[in-house]
Amino acid sequence: MSEHHITPLRTYLIIAASLLFLSGVTVWVSYIDLGSFNIVLAMFVATVKASLVAFFFMHLLWDDKKNLTMFLMSLMFFGIFVTITMLDTEFRGDLGLNPEVKDPINKRAAFYDTLPLTDTHGHPVDEHSDEHHEDKDHH
Amino acid sequence: MAHHNPDAPSHLKHYFHDVNQQYETSKFAMWAFILTEVLTFAGLFVAYIVYRSWYPDMFVDAHKLLDVNKGLMNTIVLITSSLTMALAIWAIQKNNKKLSVFMLLATFIFALVFLGIKFLEYSHKFEVGQLPGEFYSYMGPDAVHLNNPHIFFSIYFIMTGLHGLHVAIGMGLIAWLVYSTQKGNLTSEYYTPMEMIGIFWHLVDLIWIYLFPLFYLIG
Repeated sequence: MSEHHITPLRTYLIIAASLLFLSGVTVWVSYIDLGSFNIVLAMFVATVKASLVAFFFMHLLWDDKKNLTMFLMSLMFFGIFVTITMLDTEFRGDLGLNPEVKDPINKRAAFYDTLPLTDTHGHPVDEHSDEHHEDKDHH
Repeated sequence: MAHHNPDAPSHLKHYFHDVNQQYETSKFAMWAFILTEVLTFAGLFVAYIVYRSWYPDMFVDAHKLLDVNKGLMNTIVLITSSLTMALAIWAIQKNNKKLSVFMLLATFIFALVFLGIKFLEYSHKFEVGQLPGEFYSYMGPDAVHLNNPHIFFSIYFIMTGLHGLHVAIGMGLIAWLVYSTQKGNLTSEYYTPMEMIGIFWHLVDLIWIYLFPLFYLIG
């Protein structure tokens, strides 16, 4: 299999040294209070480290690009997974339960105002039927 | 119809055109497996993200109960083991069997050190009761004000536990590589299993690269 790319020893050593250096950096910056920027920086450094591992140690840089495509697809699906889940978990308070939300979701969408009212079985009902019944009973 | 070539190497399966096609196919299948691995961990990362966004302050306070030094030591051990794994493949590509076996043994020992440090961390947490879910019982002065710390430890134990299981499985695979390489089954002509297990081992490193800052270095 002489046609396979053999990564030079020097490259491996430089990548390993960079990974160890970046690990030190990420610990060091975690002790500096940057507010919400801490997590952004930590994830950025982690992603740089992960890219070094994937491209050099896992040989993706020299591989056929179909392997990189497969790997990036897994990250894309992870992104979809996170986004759709958080569209639920982050907005649960908006369903009219949270008094701080100005415009809770209408129980009856505006679209249905153009259609006749139906009961739970789908039978049409008269909007003022209750009042009429009362009227009939009393008069 | 392709006749079976009597000069073909013994590791070439008859249903492949040549050794390079066989190698590329194996590697692509390995990356398909890596995709399923990423998505397995993705579910746990989503759990982490959702609960951290619900309990941001609790996550910051509960993470102080973890030992950063042990976490950093494990990071260094795992990165070094990734290097020795890469060098084992480099050595076999150069047909240096002795160096390859040495690097595989070094990788195995680093993996053992990783699990040893993890064992020290776990046993301390079992002692003081910093455990997942209903098993949580720690009421130390640094934890009395915490709101639902058992959720943090549920996610911590499941994520690092599944990762630790991968390290243990990797150790078994590396031990098998040591045996195969020593026996002469793997050479510069055919080292596909070592390349595949190498990719698996680097994935274990890659996941730890995210677990370390997410659990040990919050805020």
